[in-house]
Amino acid sequence: MNNLTISKLSKTYSNGTQALNKVSLDIPTGMFGLLGPNGAGKSTLMRTIATLQEADEGTVTFGELDVLKDKNEVRKIIGYLPQEFGLYPRTTAEVLLDHLAVLKGIRNSKERKEIVEGLLQKTNLYIHRKKKLSTYSGGMKQRFGIAQALLANPKLIIVDEPTAGLDPTERNRFHNILCELGENTVVILSTHIVEDVKELCTNMAIINNGEVLLQENPLRAINRIKGNVYSKTIRKEELAEYKRSYNVIAERLFQGKKVIHVYDERDPGKGFTPVEASLNDVYFTYIFGAAAQ
Amino acid sequence: MLFELFKFEIKYRLKRSETYVFFTALLLYSLIAVEALFGNGTELIRANAPFIIAKTMGVTTAFFMAVVSMVMGVSVLRDFEHHMESLMFINPITKKAYLGGRFLGSFVVLLGIFSALLIGLIIGNFLPWKDPATLLPFHFWSYLQPFLTVVLPTIFFGGSLFFVTGALSRRIMVVYVQGILLLILYIFTLQLTAGSGNKQIIAILDPFSFQAIGGIVEFWTPAEKNTRIVPFEGILLYSRLLWIGIGMLSLIVGYYRFNFNVVTGKAGKKASTTNQSKASTTGASISIPSPAIRFDLQTAIRQLASHSWFHIRTILKESSFWAIAACAVATIFINSISLDIKYGVDSYPATYLIVSQLIELSVLFFLFIILFYSGELVWKERDANFHQVFDTVPVSSFISLTGKLLALLVILAFLLLSMMAAGMVFQAFNEYYIFEPGLYFMEFFTGIFFFLVLLSLVAFFFQSVLNNKYVAHIAMAVFLVVGIVVLNLSGYSHPLYSFGGGFLPMYSEMNSYGSFLKGYLWIKSYWLWFSIMLFASATLFIARGTETDFKQRWKSRRQRYTKPLGRLIAGAFLFFVFSGGYIFYNTNILSDFDFPSAEKVYKANYEKALKKFEHLPQPKITAVNLNVDLYPSERNFIAKGSFTLVNKHDQAIPEIHIQKAPSPDLTIERIEFERASEADNTYEEYGYFIHTLDTPLQPGDSLKMEFRQTYITQGLETGLNHDIVQNGTFFNNNYFPTLGYHPDIELEDKSEREEQGLKPRARRASINDPIALKQGMANDDGEEIRFEIVVSTDSSQTAIAPGYLESHWTEGDRSYFRYRTNQPITNFYSVTSADYKVVKDRWTPSANHSQDPVELEIYYQKGHEYNLKRMMKGLKKSLGYFNSHFSPYQYPQLRIMEFPRYRTFAQSFASTIPFSEAIGFMMDIDDEKDVDMAFAITAHEVAHQWWGHQVNPANVQGRSMISESLAQYSALMVLKKEFSDEKAHQFVQREMRRYLRGRSDEEQQEMPLALVESGQDYIHYGKGAVNMYALQDYISEDSVNLALKRFLRDWNNIDGLIKLRTDRYATTNDLIGYFREVTPDSLQYVLEDLFETITLHDIQAVSGSYESTASQQFEVNLEVDVTKLRLNKSGIEDTVEVHDWIDIGVYAEDKNGSQELIYLKKHKITEPLTNIEITVDRRPTKAGIDPLHKLIDREPDDNVIGLSGKEEGRESP
Repeated sequence: MNNLTISKLSKTYSNGTQALNKVSLDIPTGMFGLLGPNGAGKSTLMRTIATLQEADEGTVTFGELDVLKDKNEVRKIIGYLPQEFGLYPRTTAEVLLDHLAVLKGIRNSKERKEIVEGLLQKTNLYIHRKKKLSTYSGGMKQRFGIAQALLANPKLIIVDEPTAGLDPTERNRFHNILCELGENTVVILSTHIVEDVKELCTNMAIINNGEVLLQENPLRAINRIKGNVYSKTIRKEELAEYKRSYNVIAERLFQGKKVIHVYDERDPGKGFTPVEASLNDVYFTYIFGAAAQ
Repeated sequence: MLFELFKFEIKYRLKRSETYVFFTALLLYSLIAVEALFGNGTELIRANAPFIIAKTMGVTTAFFMAVVSMVMGVSVLRDFEHHMESLMFINPITKKAYLGGRFLGSFVVLLGIFSALLIGLIIGNFLPWKDPATLLPFHFWSYLQPFLTVVLPTIFFGGSLFFVTGALSRRIMVVYVQGILLLILYIFTLQLTAGSGNKQIIAILDPFSFQAIGGIVEFWTPAEKNTRIVPFEGILLYSRLLWIGIGMLSLIVGYYRFNFNVVTGKAGKKASTTNQSKASTTGASISIPSPAIRFDLQTAIRQLASHSWFHIRTILKESSFWAIAACAVATIFINSISLDIKYGVDSYPATYLIVSQLIELSVLFFLFIILFYSGELVWKERDANFHQVFDTVPVSSFISLTGKLLALLVILAFLLLSMMAAGMVFQAFNEYYIFEPGLYFMEFFTGIFFFLVLLSLVAFFFQSVLNNKYVAHIAMAVFLVVGIVVLNLSGYSHPLYSFGGGFLPMYSEMNSYGSFLKGYLWIKSYWLWFSIMLFASATLFIARGTETDFKQRWKSRRQRYTKPLGRLIAGAFLFFVFSGGYIFYNTNILSDFDFPSAEKVYKANYEKALKKFEHLPQPKITAVNLNVDLYPSERNFIAKGSFTLVNKHDQAIPEIHIQKAPSPDLTIERIEFERASEADNTYEEYGYFIHTLDTPLQPGDSLKMEFRQTYITQGLETGLNHDIVQNGTFFNNNYFPTLGYHPDIELEDKSEREEQGLKPRARRASINDPIALKQGMANDDGEEIRFEIVVSTDSSQTAIAPGYLESHWTEGDRSYFRYRTNQPITNFYSVTSADYKVVKDRWTPSANHSQDPVELEIYYQKGHEYNLKRMMKGLKKSLGYFNSHFSPYQYPQLRIMEFPRYRTFAQSFASTIPFSEAIGFMMDIDDEKDVDMAFAITAHEVAHQWWGHQVNPANVQGRSMISESLAQYSALMVLKKEFSDEKAHQFVQREMRRYLRGRSDEEQQEMPLALVESGQDYIHYGKGAVNMYALQDYISEDSVNLALKRFLRDWNNIDGLIKLRTDRYATTNDLIGYFREVTPDSLQYVLEDLFETITLHDIQAVSGSYESTASQQFEVNLEVDVTKLRLNKSGIEDTVEVHDWIDIGVYAEDKNGSQELIYLKKHKITEPLTNIEITVDRRPTKAGIDPLHKLIDREPDDNVIGLSGKEEGRESP
């Protein structure tokens, strides 16, 4: 199986924003989670792999394939679900999928019919296949998106923030579909929702401000900070002061009071109790730069 | 709140680049709008005359309605397009503030954009190349007034409508379709005016108001046109009020119908679908099959087909597309009322006419469809925000773009096919069952479709490369205007760089496409390669992915480049260069291509170099003997001939000047004289050769001149020579050598002459010009000639020339015809040859004439039998009338020969009348409502055998009154005799309009009928018919005929009593002398009014009543207002005293309830306001002055008035 190897990839937009800064990643077969806050550079990275834009520096290879140069070859093997996309409102799912299938090289019309039907069933859109796409809900649209990404047996699947804006049921359904893909394909899933990664991914990277902060197996990542996360319930007014004194990596409200998590290699005492580290803590630890200290 | 939104809208628009693009486009167009629409001004009607400014503003506003739609239509729509509606509508904004603010803001911006029209026209006035002589002093009000009265209401109406449709439909397509419908409405009104419907209503219904302006200024004199501002009253005012009202109405409707909610009626559906999906479980257990994925040529073809079919389906699902298609098909039915009207008569709906009508009307649609759909198709993925999915699909941009192009072309082809079907249905409706699908196909698919393909390719290029839909629309419009319109206007057009290279050659049922098709196809293929080159390279630069600035696209072109694409571009380039070279070789090397402007210089130089020879004494031709071998299929001929030249001057002639006909295909191979001579080729570039005789030609001596010349058609035959063609050759003696300087070659147009530094040219020599008095119709080369000719042609054709057919024989595949005239003819003859059918008849004079019968023949194209009987009747009845009232017919035969429709006239040569396919032969005459124009034109041409061929008028002012006005009179009298007074009257009324309209367009100076100059058709045909008809009404038909008989007796060319004693030719002074002899003293003033001055009447019935005085006795009391006007030398109308006999008429109802004239008598009117009392014996209904419109009156509708009645003291209802 081929790995997707990203090496020292940089990109600066014409308005001066540096979206990627020497990003290097090695992505094996399986589900790979790309975690990062909004604006971290996830979409830029995804679009660059998906042949939609150019990089300034660096290389991306997929097995033998130079992803940045042989765009048309890459297009033959990828499935891409953009973060944001629209559909032709007056077309039906069946027609549009069939059309895309031809464009993706499935010439035989019988085979095409089979795969279109199969995907519609898999994504649970079969009963809606003859409806105009303008009547689709957000979840249905997203499922259609994954259906089209899977059309031509892609070897590399890129899904960009697929669950943003979906309700829990839809999200769950979506996860079930994604879950099956990772077996013999490289699947890159970008998200800012830690749960997505936790539920689906065997590998992950955390990216912020265009830089890779961590590439690790999620469990090992948790192990790294295991025993270094402490929790305390405080009054809201005290938050600022705690933030000054500790590496506060998470805060949430619980019954009107603040519960904070801090990262510390030693027990801070003072009413802090050690807690079981979660992937969330890993994420915020890296995002807020606590691990580097 | 409203104000805030208003401000926001303006600020938003000011930030958008479209606003500036629209402004600039309008400004640039306005700079040249006047020239583009009306050409250069003249000294008579200036380029910035107020009505021209008003018309230009009207037309330009119509052209730019698309801008109105793009500005106003999107102002609410864009919230929906950008999915901003939820954000906008949850804000605490009232509907009134939202719509009001948006509308006012957009409208102010629109007004700002359209101010470019005002500014552009004003600046256009001061452009450096403008000739101040063609301009009036600048008056701001002349610009502002039409802007306020014409432009403002139109854009208010259009803007309101587009705003509302945009807001209500929330679909941009609907806005565009509205634009089209408006355009149709416009075309519709134009068509209606072309027919003779109710002009007032049409003018009011014209949303752009140029019909109204046209109606108001129609009969204005040039002086009025230059000074008067089109008054904002009458039809213009009503029209403006109507359209402002419609605009307001649509705003009100829009306000109430606009739904201030986010979702329009879709919420319910959505909810139900989501519920259903929740009910089902995940399909985790379903395995996905692995289809074979192949990327080879077959897949590429499949992808291309699928892609274009996908887009075709999308377009076919648009209801707006069907609206466009319905409109395109409906045009033919809308237009049915004006199918090629000639002389007020419809033509049979022949396929070529239907096609040309369809194309003419639909070309705007097609331009629009291409412009619009090219943008929609290229931007399809991006507009739907689907591009991130689509752009990762393994399909090359070339296939993707080509698929879309094919979709567009299939749609266009579909429209053309439906128009074709509509055309045939229309023909069947009109009981015309000659269906020619092949011809439809040819006209549509090699014709317009070819051009549409080119346009589509270029439009895709602009859309792809410019990467902004609106900028590309504008670029395309500029491209079209510059590439086609401007080049043609500026006189620098050449098929190699005027985009598309021109239209399908004209189809004629006689000559089909002739040999013109080959050149057309070469030129079209040249442009096809050019466009393919553009298109193919555009696929390298089209936006793909998420970075679309040109720098990135330029960078990625290398990755896009593939070998096949490279080969396509290189191949297209090679073919482009090759076909370009071939065309250049044919147009510029084989045949002598000249720009119109270069031709002007040539003509000017000719005049400058050779004018000195104009009055050099030259001999006259007195006999012509020709041998012409025609080769129709090659479009060549070889002529050998001899002219007998006689020195009619009283001095010896040492040198003979020969002018070759100015055609590059024509070569004089040999010229020899009976005596030795030496040729001087100094002026060879003008085809002008001076032969010096060893011994000069003494006065009275004659000399034979022999020549041989060839006419070889060369090059691609794209040129305009329609004289010598495969079937239907018709040329006249202009193709043979002439003697001396040839004034006909001179530039005519005054401003063109001025550009070349030449003084204006007299349109006709003065009536007293001693030299011109000695010239007749054939100018200077001699007038009466003995004529003999042998014409040979292909054996499938018949060749015809003046004279009787002395012999006819065939040699191999060639036919020979020898014609000879029985008596001298004017030095004006023609040769025709075609594959003719012939119908023959004979006219026998009545017993008391000792005259031989005349053989009648009509040579016609098979299939054109419709009006042969009418024409034959015209020949016979005319010969009958003219023979008994004027003088005997002079030849033993009279023939009509049809020629192709490239030219549309009939012309009388001695005993032969070439007659265009386009008139007479194809007229669908309805005897109820039409004048039998096939009969009337025939009669007019037969009359020329007298007026022109028996009396040859002197080549001075008034010449065409003798030839044309008398022919009009003669035809009218035959018409009156054979049909009715009403038909003659109908004919006269059409000529009246022709005169009034013509004089209002006069560019130099209107002349009295007796002094009519060349180019004043409206006078010699129009006013000639009207005034000769009036003359016979005043002094009786018999008196006029008596005068004409005497005129012929004295002035005919053969044995005229006076003509034998003089070497000058007859003038209108002579003619009017004969009229005077037969006119009573009391009516002598009529001759002055009709012929010697320009006199008009402004006549009106002011009031009228009647009283029943006794049983069956009614006393009518009528008050009339008569103003008599006379145009003075400076073009101003002066009021003159009235002492005129004018018809007074009284109408009553007849048994059928229609109006019948029961009293008609001339009364002498001496006061402007006159009361007239008449007693009639039937109950009158209406009365009036000059009820039959015999006098020239610009407002004929107010001549008759309804009568109010009193009966034994009691008012009648």
